Amino acid sequence: MGTKMQHPIDERAAVTVHDLTVAYREDPVLWDIDLSIPTGSLTAIIGPNGAGKSTLMKAILGLVPPAAGTVEIFGHTSERQRRLVGYVPQRGSVDWQFPTNALDVVTMGTYGQLGWIRRPGKAEKQRALAALDQMGMADFADRQISQLSGGQQQRVFLARALVQDAQLYFMDEPFVGVDARTEAAIIELLKSLRDHGKTVVVVHHDLDSAPNYFDHVVLLNVQKIASGPMAETFTTENIERTYGPSKSARTKVAAS
Amino acid sequence: MSTLHDLIFDYTLRNVALGGMLLGIVAGVLGAFAVLRQQALLGDSLSHAALPGICIAFMITGSRESLVLLIGAGIAGWIGTWILLRTVNATKLSEDTMLGVVLSVFFGVGILLLTYIQQTNNANQAGLDKYLFGQAASLIARDVWTFAILGTASLAIVVLFYKEFKLLSFDPEFLASLGLPQRRLDLALTSLLVVAVMIGLQTVGVVLMAAMVIGPGTAARQWTDNLRTMLMLSGLFGGLAGLIGAVISVQASHLPTGPSIILTLTIIVVASILFAPRHGIVAEWWRNRARRAAFQAALESGERPS
Repeated sequence: MGTKMQHPIDERAAVTVHDLTVAYREDPVLWDIDLSIPTGSLTAIIGPNGAGKSTLMKAILGLVPPAAGTVEIFGHTSERQRRLVGYVPQRGSVDWQFPTNALDVVTMGTYGQLGWIRRPGKAEKQRALAALDQMGMADFADRQISQLSGGQQQRVFLARALVQDAQLYFMDEPFVGVDARTEAAIIELLKSLRDHGKTVVVVHHDLDSAPNYFDHVVLLNVQKIASGPMAETFTTENIERTYGPSKSARTKVAAS
Repeated sequence: MSTLHDLIFDYTLRNVALGGMLLGIVAGVLGAFAVLRQQALLGDSLSHAALPGICIAFMITGSRESLVLLIGAGIAGWIGTWILLRTVNATKLSEDTMLGVVLSVFFGVGILLLTYIQQTNNANQAGLDKYLFGQAASLIARDVWTFAILGTASLAIVVLFYKEFKLLSFDPEFLASLGLPQRRLDLALTSLLVVAVMIGLQTVGVVLMAAMVIGPGTAARQWTDNLRTMLMLSGLFGGLAGLIGAVISVQASHLPTGPSIILTLTIIVVASILFAPRHGIVAEWWRNRARRAAFQAALESGERPS
């Protein structure tokens, strides 16, 4: 708790969250969160179901209103920094029966830059195709989205975020229900984004793989349990404080 | 041939045909969005909630002018929808439960007011009951002009903000993350649906208006996997049903127009669900049949089907 009192103003923080509380009908989902996410990091947000992981992400994005507290992205409000932020919602949050194809969905990533009324043209389509290609999905550009596998749908969503050409990416559970090939593609993408100096924040649920994929971690269970570099923060003790004893017993077994 | 002649030269028939067609196009295009956003029943609550609005507008103004009554309908429809959405948000009741409540309460109040008006205005038959099942024969040229202006404005807004409405319908969270005003766009699209319902009330009536919102989009979805094509087909199907149904109702000794339009629409919907290529039931059956045959042949020959 000692670290909570001091607020080192980190010049290199991509995200700074201060005293953030979010409630649904007076029921706190997030309670008094203080954290900062360093620029250029691959940060995992980890915690049990109902810990508020997605809500934290949405609160940082300004999609859910905070009951208290502030959020800064590169030193300004999230409203001012929209262009610098890319977002990959949970795959299950949309209706994949919607009448459209993969290329069209990826092109939606350009809508923010296009502004009102203006339609995407050739340049936007080209960028969308390039992003699809980067995710190994070039052959599926014209494919109806309902005809894609879960992993392919996830890669379409990631390509859409790539087209946003952001500095800071938020991804909500991208690894859920995907095939091995997609998992490899996502890991590849995360590394490539970091190599280009981008910051990536990922809601993640798999404790075993987290230390391999990410260099920073936020452990969350309504309150922030711990946050910092993976090696120092992702300890058995902190995991136990986040999940309760049973879960950490399992990871101990897995680690031994 | 005489029908065609009448369509062009008969005043009533021309108004009926144009009115029915306009309403079908506008309800078809905006209803398609409602179908995609899985808000198909919103049209139902909107139209039923509109009935007390029509009665109150008449009681306040004493006017039978359709624009006045339709504005009353629009306001009441809006209030009903607002109550519906707010109570679903604020309570743990499901949307269909609240829909049932809002719909019946508003409709009940509407019938009550309608009965009251008819009893107190014996000399001056208000003729508001045409809003129950629709009476296209009562359309005058000025009504058609009103529909045309409201409809064209609504469709122009859809064309203008096509990109925004598409993203709103597919992925509202992503839209919000881009900084686009999700709530205001949602409000705008719902308001356009209110306008479509307003246009339909006099012709189709409050009871069957929901079918006019849901039907064309459902039929159109069977034929295409492209949103733009779906919207255009939806407008086309709605327009055809409105035109044919309205003309039939007037030609066949003044049937109520609503049922006549909706039955026409039903034929289009059923035909689409049955016979559309790829999504249609017959096409699917045909594909399965071919697959079954190939599988059977493979079983017999012992070679794995390719």
